[in-house]
Amino acid sequence: MTTAVQPAGGAAGGPSSSSLADVIDTILDKGLVLDAYVRVSLVGIEILTIDARVVIASVDTYLRFAEAVNRLDISQEDPKSGLTDIVGDVTESAAKGKGQGALEAAGEKLSDILTPKQPQRQKVNRVRSQRGDR
Amino acid sequence: MTSKGDAIYVYGIVPADVQVEDDAQGIGGAPVEVIREGDIAALVSPIKTDQALGKPADLEAHAELLDGTASVAPVLPLRFGAVMTDTKSVAQELLREHHDEFAEALNALEGQAEYVIKGRYDEKRFLSDLLDENDQARALRDDIRAKSEDATRNSRIALGELIANTVEVKRQADTQTVVDQLNDVARQVNVREPTHEWDAAHVALLAEVDREGDVQEVVDRLNEKGKGRIQLRLLGPLAPYDFVVASAPAS
Repeated sequence: MTTAVQPAGGAAGGPSSSSLADVIDTILDKGLVLDAYVRVSLVGIEILTIDARVVIASVDTYLRFAEAVNRLDISQEDPKSGLTDIVGDVTESAAKGKGQGALEAAGEKLSDILTPKQPQRQKVNRVRSQRGDR
Repeated sequence: MTSKGDAIYVYGIVPADVQVEDDAQGIGGAPVEVIREGDIAALVSPIKTDQALGKPADLEAHAELLDGTASVAPVLPLRFGAVMTDTKSVAQELLREHHDEFAEALNALEGQAEYVIKGRYDEKRFLSDLLDENDQARALRDDIRAKSEDATRNSRIALGELIANTVEVKRQADTQTVVDQLNDVARQVNVREPTHEWDAAHVALLAEVDREGDVQEVVDRLNEKGKGRIQLRLLGPLAPYDFVVASAPAS
């Protein structure tokens, strides 16, 4: 049997490609380590804050979680908080003169502008290079 | 002896019949070579010892070479950063000294590779489910809403802690579900530590490469069952990083 090893970056064809974070989860603390007699040395690895990968719940985490609940409330229970009133007023006063349909449509547009999608919460930067590159 | 400053980076151990394609690149773009000894071989590339290692590209080169290998041949991956003095020491001290145990391990791994399943909770969904299910969470939320930020610090901490504890409990249950579902396809399973606060499951498994479709099916089924509550990803085939540690006793 002769097997060909694919070159780095070759089409491995896996179900899902690994991100850098996936790679780090795997190759830095797993894999064969040989004893000192074999003189395989783990050379200096310049990666800081490996410990950031470890999930530690802290007061800081708790406060962020609570804040997430707060945002959830705003986005779910009052999807157009503040806006309904504005649009309502506009509709009422304008309805006297013009067709309501157009204004409702405008109201919808407005609601899109005034309640943009919740921004993605910033993720913890899991690897920070010492030199700050990337 | 090689000149000072040059060394050999070792990626992993493979059967001696493995060949590397001419354009295979290792760390720093160096050509990948195979050092053979008996039935086994080492995948290596030359490296300068005065250059710092650990940039994202270095990590990716290591992983890509080994994972690419894993899809076609058994491989014993070395942890990132293994360097030996020269090719002679790789052949003698690494391969010859451990020949039989490496050959045996490679034999046992024939046809198999590692896969990793990562599951992540949908944050919004998780929180609204929690508020629906948990009276205490709702009470805390209402308290926080009713008062100023300064006055609710304790409530906010309590709510956050409640969330963190709930994640922990659900993570254990959901991880167990994943492991149970893998019963038929996995030769071995290793439950990994979570690496993100919204991790729902993090499981490595050893499976036959031919059965990758079955593993994917398990993941798809669980994703469907989760109905957006959890999103599972399947990574692989990977080199069996999680399953080689015990194969090389120091003595």
